[in-house]
Amino acid sequence: MAAHQPDATPSDLSRRAFLRTTLAAGAVAPAALAAGGAGRAWAQETPKKGGTLRVAFYIEAATMDPHMSGSKIDRQVYHNIFEPLVVLDTNLGVKPGLAESWQQPDPKTLVFKLRRGVKFHDGTDFNAEAVKFNFNRMKTEPKSVRKGEVASIDTVDILDTYTVKLNLRRPDAALLATLTDRAGMMVSPKTAQERGAELERNAKGAGTGPFVFVEWVKDDHLLIRRNDGYWNKQGGPYLEQIRYRPIPDDTVKLQSLQAGEIHVMDYVQPRDVAAVKADRNVVVLDVPSLADFAYQLNHTRPPFDNRALRQAVAYALDLEQIVKGVWLNVGVPANGPIPPTSWAYDRTIPFIKRDLAKAKAKLAEGGKAGGFTFTVTTNNIPINVQEAEVIQAQLAEAGITMKIKLVDSSTLISDGNAKNFEMISFQWSGRPDPDGNTFQFYRTTPGTSLNWSGISNPQIDALLDKSREVSSQAERKKLFSQLTRILQEELPMVFIVHPVEPKAFSPRVQGYDPIPDGMMRFKDVWLK
Amino acid sequence: MASSTPGSGIAEPVTAPLTRAVPGRPAPARRWRTLRHAAGARLAPFGAAVLLVAVLAAMLAPAVAPHDPLKQDLNHALARPDRAHLLGTDNVGRDVLSRVIWGTRVSLVAGLGSVGIAMLVGGLLGLLAGYAGGRVDGLVMRLMDAVLSFPPLVLALALGAVLGAGLSGVVIALGVVYTPTFARLMRGQVLSITAREYVDAARALGVPGWRIAWSHVLPNVTAPIVVQASLSVAFAILAEASLSFLGLGVQPPAPSWGSMINAGRGYLQQAPWIVFGPGAALFVTVVGLNFVGDAVRDALDPRLRV
Amino acid sequence: MGRLILRRLAATIPVLLLVTAGVFALIHLTPGDPIDAMMAESVDDSVKRELRRELGLDRPLYLQYATWMGRLLQGDLGRSIRNREPVIENVSRRIRPSLQLAGLAMAISLLVATPIGILSAARRNSTIDRCGTTFALFGICMPNFLIALLLIFVFGVTLRWLPISGYVDPLEEPWDGLRSLTLPAITLGLALAAVVTRTLRSSMLEALSEDYIRTARAKGLSDGAVVRRHALKNALIPVVTVLGLQLGTLIGGAVITEYVFALPGVGRLVVDAVFARDYPLVQGVVLLIAVGFILSNLAVDLLYGLIDPRIRHR
Repeated sequence: MAAHQPDATPSDLSRRAFLRTTLAAGAVAPAALAAGGAGRAWAQETPKKGGTLRVAFYIEAATMDPHMSGSKIDRQVYHNIFEPLVVLDTNLGVKPGLAESWQQPDPKTLVFKLRRGVKFHDGTDFNAEAVKFNFNRMKTEPKSVRKGEVASIDTVDILDTYTVKLNLRRPDAALLATLTDRAGMMVSPKTAQERGAELERNAKGAGTGPFVFVEWVKDDHLLIRRNDGYWNKQGGPYLEQIRYRPIPDDTVKLQSLQAGEIHVMDYVQPRDVAAVKADRNVVVLDVPSLADFAYQLNHTRPPFDNRALRQAVAYALDLEQIVKGVWLNVGVPANGPIPPTSWAYDRTIPFIKRDLAKAKAKLAEGGKAGGFTFTVTTNNIPINVQEAEVIQAQLAEAGITMKIKLVDSSTLISDGNAKNFEMISFQWSGRPDPDGNTFQFYRTTPGTSLNWSGISNPQIDALLDKSREVSSQAERKKLFSQLTRILQEELPMVFIVHPVEPKAFSPRVQGYDPIPDGMMRFKDVWLK
Repeated sequence: MASSTPGSGIAEPVTAPLTRAVPGRPAPARRWRTLRHAAGARLAPFGAAVLLVAVLAAMLAPAVAPHDPLKQDLNHALARPDRAHLLGTDNVGRDVLSRVIWGTRVSLVAGLGSVGIAMLVGGLLGLLAGYAGGRVDGLVMRLMDAVLSFPPLVLALALGAVLGAGLSGVVIALGVVYTPTFARLMRGQVLSITAREYVDAARALGVPGWRIAWSHVLPNVTAPIVVQASLSVAFAILAEASLSFLGLGVQPPAPSWGSMINAGRGYLQQAPWIVFGPGAALFVTVVGLNFVGDAVRDALDPRLRV
Repeated sequence: MGRLILRRLAATIPVLLLVTAGVFALIHLTPGDPIDAMMAESVDDSVKRELRRELGLDRPLYLQYATWMGRLLQGDLGRSIRNREPVIENVSRRIRPSLQLAGLAMAISLLVATPIGILSAARRNSTIDRCGTTFALFGICMPNFLIALLLIFVFGVTLRWLPISGYVDPLEEPWDGLRSLTLPAITLGLALAAVVTRTLRSSMLEALSEDYIRTARAKGLSDGAVVRRHALKNALIPVVTVLGLQLGTLIGGAVITEYVFALPGVGRLVVDAVFARDYPLVQGVVLLIAVGFILSNLAVDLLYGLIDPRIRHR
């Protein structure tokens, strides 16, 4: 939780009240929130049952089937109606979810002991059979998007009704963290088999979570309802219903919140943060995220096949100015792909500070003492445009001319995949395990992949492979630190910022527990 | 003339349906034009003044703009209008007034460029269709109808994506959207003129077709075309702003009124001048151009005057 | 009459064919691929290939076009790539808000434009007339995204009288529904009002200068009665035709308004589809919009021919 201690503004006072009740109502959540006095017992406000929480995201969900889902917004809904085997806590640690405990007798085996007495919303039991069914589905369904995430799982054995053994192809230290999201979400076999492809529209009965899917009226709203038979009797769910609505326009979304038409919005633009914090009608929570925003440099063609020129660009950038001027300090300058919220983050590695002298030296080293010209491809979101303009001005001071090419997101993705760019904007929403922020971007991969830069470095490959085999977190952390240092030298990307994702609420919303993965879980939330 | 789309702001507005330039329609009733003529005469100088200011601003931007439109000053972002910055500064500290002045270039290029293309291409097509007649006429007009029935915003967006980022893409896309209007207009004019006797006479005398087209037809069709063009420029400027608002158009950091309004949208409460500076410029320019267009129409097209 | 209609309908077929070829070519020429866009954060190449194969996206373009046209002739507009639902269903879901918005905008425009137009015409050259014409001009010249932003700011946030986003169906909840459509309808309606004012004014002027009006005045009828009983009826005809022509374009063209007010309309549907390269959806919706436009033009033409005897014989 970001320790944000500003001067007391009206929003802050209501925010403290908000957090107070969060601490009280969330007494079952062991991860106490740091701001305002961790662990102290405030006067308890009793959660009230009932009410409809209105939530707005910028688009609506794409599908209700967690195994077929590729979109970030889907996850927001899933985390309320489905449950994964394991869950994340505020420190990104892995805690029991539908699995009560687990063991790793050897690096290629993972045994889960499942929670008993859990029923899917359609009434069937959650057990080892269900888990096996789910993993098989992820691996064999033709349209399953989870295949890559569970690729390390070879077979699943049922040891007894509530014990499952995963046999892995290779050691995969990142697997547990992956199972805290869609890859670990358990869907009712009965409903999945009966409903077939309809599951993507209608998830009634399919999950085990604190809320039950009710209906999805496309382009309009998605409704979920409290699960009174939820297995976890501590805390919520309290809300009667949650209604999700898509509002594509950021400004309109914020105004809807201020006007009281919605209660929750998932992201406040940096430019609105200051104003919103001063608004009495809105409570803002700074939630540090797992994301990293950067620009990928194309190693397969000039000018950035030349390392010195890449480094020249890196030294010419003033990250602090970008974070202050563009992101308005809603975020921190990045030293690499791993966010500060992660256990793998190495605070001893500084981000690359601006040094015009070094930049010019690198230019000379690269044979372009008089500067050079290149084009950056970025998509037409106002803040991206702004950032590009600021970077353009910064590079100009080092004699580097950057041209800006604006495209829409489909074109951006296609240009990235096809390596049809010199420098391209890249924003990764982040994964709880550092592997998720690194492996697929830096490992040598032939053909089309998320390794847009085309970097192929044996040292990096070795580090990435090893980080998956080693299971000790301390050792993995060392590996990722080494990786970060090499990345700062080789520069497949110039890293810019690890953004904070401020979330905004109506003051009526109580009990929200923010987890850095940015997913909004409403189990213990209630409306005043 | 083509229909209007108040929602998308792309095509030009409808005038009374009576004036659609399709052959076979009777000559439009003229009496209601008197009033427009009189009113136009009063407002035309204002429009001309606006046009002059716009052109001067565009041409003399480097000299007239008080600051460098690209110079960022992150420490003075979102500053209120004051003596140093008459229209305040934007979100990265650039002077809004200077950007508005430089933005005139983009708007004028977009307006004149797209209408120029439409006039040229549409005019040629209409000339061809009207003069050649028969199957060529049918083919060309079907093509124009097809383009007309395409939703203009979608056409512009898709063409913009195909043609690549930048102002030229937008100009070409808008040119395509406006071409049918000019084609239809030209064709109508050609048809009505070639039916006249002096053309018959020329033909009887053995004058070759192309010469007839060049020396007889063309001089007489220019007037309505110019009238339409002068009105279209205003709406092309609006259209470019709408497209910029949706994310197409000039590449940053070049200022364009539409993209300035789009960028300033999120700051409407904190710094409304970012939106209203270019917004006012856009509005005034379009109004002025409309006045000029009306005056041009009244002056040039003898049919429409009483 | 019947033969005329059939002839005109037959004439639209080649136009529609051109539109299908045009939209197909255009959307397939845009860079980017719908599968890549849908699955941006996933690396599963095999899944992407499977999806492309299933949707026929890996076949040569002319074959894809032929398949699409073949299905089209059987009445099948295809399915959206993103949500796998038939294009028809996607459109029918969105058509209601668009129609309601268009209808409300037209009503507002008539409400505003009728008195102004009549007064302007009745009192030529007076201050009222000049104000009216100026208002009409301003309405056309004001970019509608600016109007929308101003309305949101004033009525939505500052005064909090009206909702600024979202759609409630007035047929289900009349009061809330109307409130949710008010601001967007005003945005569209103001520009429309400007056009209607101009049209009404000119046609009123024309009607008022007819001989039979002079006769009526000579008979001693008051100005008001003259306007109401004689001029207005005839003056409204061009207005109706203008509005009819607008309907076709309002449905597909109110994109910016739909975006700013978060209305699930057809305009946003097709623009989002373009951005996501959802080929079948773009092709299908553009075709439908084109058909709507052509049909409404045809209807207006024929209506006009019916009403105005001067034009009936081509």
